[in-house]
Amino acid sequence: MFDLVRDIYQYRELIWALALKELKIRYKRSVLGFLWALLNPAFMMLVLTLVFSTIMRFAIPHYAIFLLSVLLPWTFFSQSLSYAVEAIVTNGDLIKKVAVPKVVFPMAALVSNLINLLLSLIPLALLVPLLRHPFYWTWLYLPVPLLALAIFTLGMAFFFAAANVYYRDVAHILQVVLSAWFYLTPIIYPLDFIPAKHQWIFKLNPIIYVINGFRLSVYYGMLPKAPSILASFVCAFASLFVGYLVFRRYQDSFVFYV
Amino acid sequence: MSTAGAIRVEGVTQRFRVIQERPDTLRELFSKFFRHESSYHDFEAVKNVSFEVPHGQMLGLIGRNGSGKSTLLKIIAGVYRPTAGRVEVRGSVAPLIELGAGFHHELTGRENILLNGLLMGYSKREMLAREQRIIEFAEIGDFIDAPVKQYSSGMYMRLAFSVATEVDPSILLIDEILAVGDAPFQQKCFERIQKFKRADKTIVFVSHALNQVEEYCDRVILIDQGTILADGPARDVVEMYRSATGLEVVGAH
Repeated sequence: MFDLVRDIYQYRELIWALALKELKIRYKRSVLGFLWALLNPAFMMLVLTLVFSTIMRFAIPHYAIFLLSVLLPWTFFSQSLSYAVEAIVTNGDLIKKVAVPKVVFPMAALVSNLINLLLSLIPLALLVPLLRHPFYWTWLYLPVPLLALAIFTLGMAFFFAAANVYYRDVAHILQVVLSAWFYLTPIIYPLDFIPAKHQWIFKLNPIIYVINGFRLSVYYGMLPKAPSILASFVCAFASLFVGYLVFRRYQDSFVFYV
Repeated sequence: MSTAGAIRVEGVTQRFRVIQERPDTLRELFSKFFRHESSYHDFEAVKNVSFEVPHGQMLGLIGRNGSGKSTLLKIIAGVYRPTAGRVEVRGSVAPLIELGAGFHHELTGRENILLNGLLMGYSKREMLAREQRIIEFAEIGDFIDAPVKQYSSGMYMRLAFSVATEVDPSILLIDEILAVGDAPFQQKCFERIQKFKRADKTIVFVSHALNQVEEYCDRVILIDQGTILADGPARDVVEMYRSATGLEVVGAH
């Protein structure tokens, strides 16, 4: 684990440059360029708001904000993993020719999506007053769940990136897992929708605690209770520990399989 | 020659698993597993090789295609971790193994200079300080701000060589790359290598161009089937290789 911190620190400029490269390429040759990073989530939010305030009405007030407060972090999570799972394989040519620590590739996938997440919080912050939803001071708490989510995602990213080097099925399995996971996590519905006696099953879901932090602070204007915060970090570090252990165990032989 | 070795290779073996039909998918894996098939054999590209390169020496590695020269160079560069043995490298290494390996086609030349430098382990500040000199040496004019996918292969190689050598490494690993580029640029490359030699840098040079090896290297190691066949003064080893392979050399050059 100490190695990881050292590598990240030593190669921080490279990770940053790779992440920016990722974003640059994503928006290259578009007239609006980087602005799309803001426009994309803004348009998505607009559509969701219209749909849920006119066509599908739920008993939850300001459903759009209820949904977006956790949909945006979830999108970061699933997009980061979708990028990271291919991170080693797509950089195979490079790995075969340059001695570069492999951790930088999943890291860069994470950082580029983190930039997107942070940018997408701007249109969300504009949407809140627009819908006359109170703007809570608990927004200030967001860096805490962001940190837990980033650590949790990084661990999974390491695991999937390594596994995909050996079995390319992993990238496809991941997509199935992510879509099932999406519906099993209280994102489009609140946890209260689940009968109380079954709620414990949902509480085994390791991402639920960090997701809860986002919804509480943005939508409800509350802070999570200490055990929930603790649980989110325990899950985050467990993910990082396992993911990085697997990655480190196999990273020296990636070069033979990419 | 100073006594401190810049590169020490000790009993290095590199085994590759040559897979005829790698089970790329789980289905293949399971079917192979249940039928107890093995679809690979092990191949030793480098077998128990030891040598030392003293600080400031220019070493040539020669041998036929597939003899293990490039594998050895990649082990020294740290791309492969050897199956057995140890490699010790003292100093910063610039591997010119495949020029432009880290280039990204959508990025401009200038952006690639930075990215390539960072990939080689240099800092952003160092790269920005050297940017102007890199651009001047490459002589590609205004193309520096165009995406490298628009470059000719010669321009690509000029920029890559210039990035890799402007960084002032103490050890330079060169793998058969000087064959590209026009004659004046090749001349410039060799002048730069001469400058490195004068500055007492350590250089390992893999090439099939025996004349160049003979002219520039202090010492040559001849490799065949992963083992060292001969190790000595450039002229002697090159001569030996020429006479051993006969006419083949003319074809290989």
